[in-house]
Amino acid sequence: MAVGTASLGDLWNSRELLRNLVAKELKVRYKGSALGFLWSLVTPLLITAVFTVVFATFIRVPLGDGNFATFFLSGYLVWQFFSNSVNSSVGAIVGNGALIRKVWFRREVLPVSLVLSQAVHFALALLATSPLFLWFRGFHPETIPALLGGFVLLVMFTTGMSMIFAAANVGFRDLQELTQVIFLAWFYLTPVIYPPFLLDDPVAQRYLPVVLANPMTWFVELFHAALYGTPVPSGVNPPPLWPDAQTWLVCAGWAVATLGIGYVLFNRLAVSFAKEV
Amino acid sequence: MGATAQDPRAAGEGTGRRLRAHDAPAVAGPAATSPFSIVVADLTERFRVSSDRPPTLKERLSQFRRAEYTTFEALKGVSLQVRHGESVALIGHNGSGKSTLLKCIAGILPADEGSVSVDGRIATLLELGAGFQPDLSGRENVYLNGSILGLRRREIDAAFDSIVDFAGVRDFIDNPVRNYSSGMYVRLGFAIAVHVQPDVLLVDEVLSVGDANFQEQSLARMRSFGQAGKTVVLVSHDLNAVRALCERTVVLDHGAIVADGPTDESIAYYTYLVSGGQPDASEPVEEPTPTRTGDRGATVVDARLLVDGRRPATGEPIASGASAQLAVSFSTADERLLPAGGLTVGIVVRRPDMQLAVYETRTSWRGIYLAPPRPGAVATVTFTLDLAILSGEYLVDLLVANASTNAIHDRWLGALEFRVDSPVHEFGVARLDASIGITNPDGWWPPELHAPPEERGGPREHPLREERPSPGYEPGVPRAELLDPSGSEPGLPPMQLRDPVRPA
Repeated sequence: MAVGTASLGDLWNSRELLRNLVAKELKVRYKGSALGFLWSLVTPLLITAVFTVVFATFIRVPLGDGNFATFFLSGYLVWQFFSNSVNSSVGAIVGNGALIRKVWFRREVLPVSLVLSQAVHFALALLATSPLFLWFRGFHPETIPALLGGFVLLVMFTTGMSMIFAAANVGFRDLQELTQVIFLAWFYLTPVIYPPFLLDDPVAQRYLPVVLANPMTWFVELFHAALYGTPVPSGVNPPPLWPDAQTWLVCAGWAVATLGIGYVLFNRLAVSFAKEV
Repeated sequence: MGATAQDPRAAGEGTGRRLRAHDAPAVAGPAATSPFSIVVADLTERFRVSSDRPPTLKERLSQFRRAEYTTFEALKGVSLQVRHGESVALIGHNGSGKSTLLKCIAGILPADEGSVSVDGRIATLLELGAGFQPDLSGRENVYLNGSILGLRRREIDAAFDSIVDFAGVRDFIDNPVRNYSSGMYVRLGFAIAVHVQPDVLLVDEVLSVGDANFQEQSLARMRSFGQAGKTVVLVSHDLNAVRALCERTVVLDHGAIVADGPTDESIAYYTYLVSGGQPDASEPVEEPTPTRTGDRGATVVDARLLVDGRRPATGEPIASGASAQLAVSFSTADERLLPAGGLTVGIVVRRPDMQLAVYETRTSWRGIYLAPPRPGAVATVTFTLDLAILSGEYLVDLLVANASTNAIHDRWLGALEFRVDSPVHEFGVARLDASIGITNPDGWWPPELHAPPEERGGPREHPLREERPSPGYEPGVPRAELLDPSGSEPGLPPMQLRDPVRPA
């Protein structure tokens, strides 16, 4: 069974299946709900409202003349895409056990289709909230290519991570339950609700290496730069700008490495999925 | 955004390597290089069965206790070669490894040892409608399921009408599959699977689903695959289907091939095996027919037989020749039947002791089609029957079906039971209502006995009696007197009948 050699060609041949699965995800997700597709736009806005009340009124994150809602939203959309993708992919293989035991198809299409359908939601949410960014942070068309590039890297990274979680969950079912906790901790280790300069504080400094080792920090920073600009504690917050080279390099490195490892690991484990699900 | 989907473009469509169901369908027939379509060599397949309770997290951490497994070999070094265009059946008792072998050929299970190679595009019919999304419409599911099975969009476009017609779900194709009956679900799944146009078709026990009509249809479809020179591998317990479709049959037992040869010989060996090694064993016992089948799109809610406007008590006999009303009431569970064609209601009156269907009719045979009643409403069809049937126990079977798609909604065997008592001394089934006239110059015998009166089963007034009388005897009257040459007609003596003899 020369599964490995034909993989890439097979995957390309599965593109129609992938497209149908993505379409299915998008159609099924909001079937029967009154707002339907609008939920992918409404949810982040409502969450933004909650976090803005808490972190701009109760706790007061210092942001100078900056706007907490747009700062939060620019990082939260990235986080939400990543978190939703991986969390739905964890059970993708185990949950489709009946199909996997009965039909042969490229198993990757299951997590990949979930990531791609989340990517559609992400893109739509970004479009729908763009007036907020235009109003509070100004019009900066020069960062649009950076957003597209960052989007591609983010999808690559998320795909790799989703494959790792989906495959690992087959042999280690406890992962599905653990994921929620992992992602809660991961969320707080990512500068979404706090700007990174808060880590300059001598006490918080201890956690700086952990936050910097977290790949999501870099992806969130990339979108912070291109959508919000540079958050500073007081005075004028500089407007959106092209992310710096270090951010690009780290993001690209994480994206390629995670996708590569995820793909190889997934395919190595995929041959025995039918036996273990 | 689809970075993973773009990279492989460089790898090309991969011509020249082994093709799978998901590869380009550009294979014009089986490759001529090898005479074999499927080659399985020394295939061993192992499954891990956890032998004990799984270790808790605490045990895992504190004692390094790993989950313990025993290995179970589902296949033990199986080798099999199937030629292009051959139809092969795999049979064996449950757990013999036949389905595992099929899944290995399909590529679903990896070979633990040995190898499997398949030449040509594979389609698997392991489970019909696997991967159907209940919330999507039939149309969307055809495309989704088709692409899971490896069909291209343009191939599905081309086959779409044929798929829908084969499944008989045209009226529902835009309704969510959630609302389909199980029969429609399975038919649609089968229709998609057989339209994959494979070189190698792998089938596992899917022919036993659906109603008789659909089984007939799918069997014919399978046969046409074989005739078209496709390789077919069939796993089945249905030995009749195996006989009908395959010339060669492989018998598996405990993960090994124990017989491989002409179907008749293999089946004989198999029946010998399942009977515990006793020769002359009969075939496996067929499952008893369920008394109530159908997809329950419409359900009979009440059926009653009325004689003279009232329901006979249990066991109370109905007089032969009585006029009876058979009222069949049914209702539909939900809206899904509304767009379907007309419904037909049928009845069969049976004599189970004779294994005889006495009478069958359907509304559709009289040109009467019923609009499906709205959910909650009850439709009643009343058949007025002339029970010109003779003494015996009768059963009534009821049927509610769709007259256009032939989908059976409710078939209820033996829904009603009634007894007929015929006062006339007749045997058999139908009341042909014989009139008896005799022409015998010597009259009737013996003259001493009198027939019982008509109400006790005696002869009725004979219409020809006056016109063609037969002279007879009067007790104690000399024959010569009776046959009075003067021509005066003596009164006819009553007809003689022996006491009625009833069937045991």
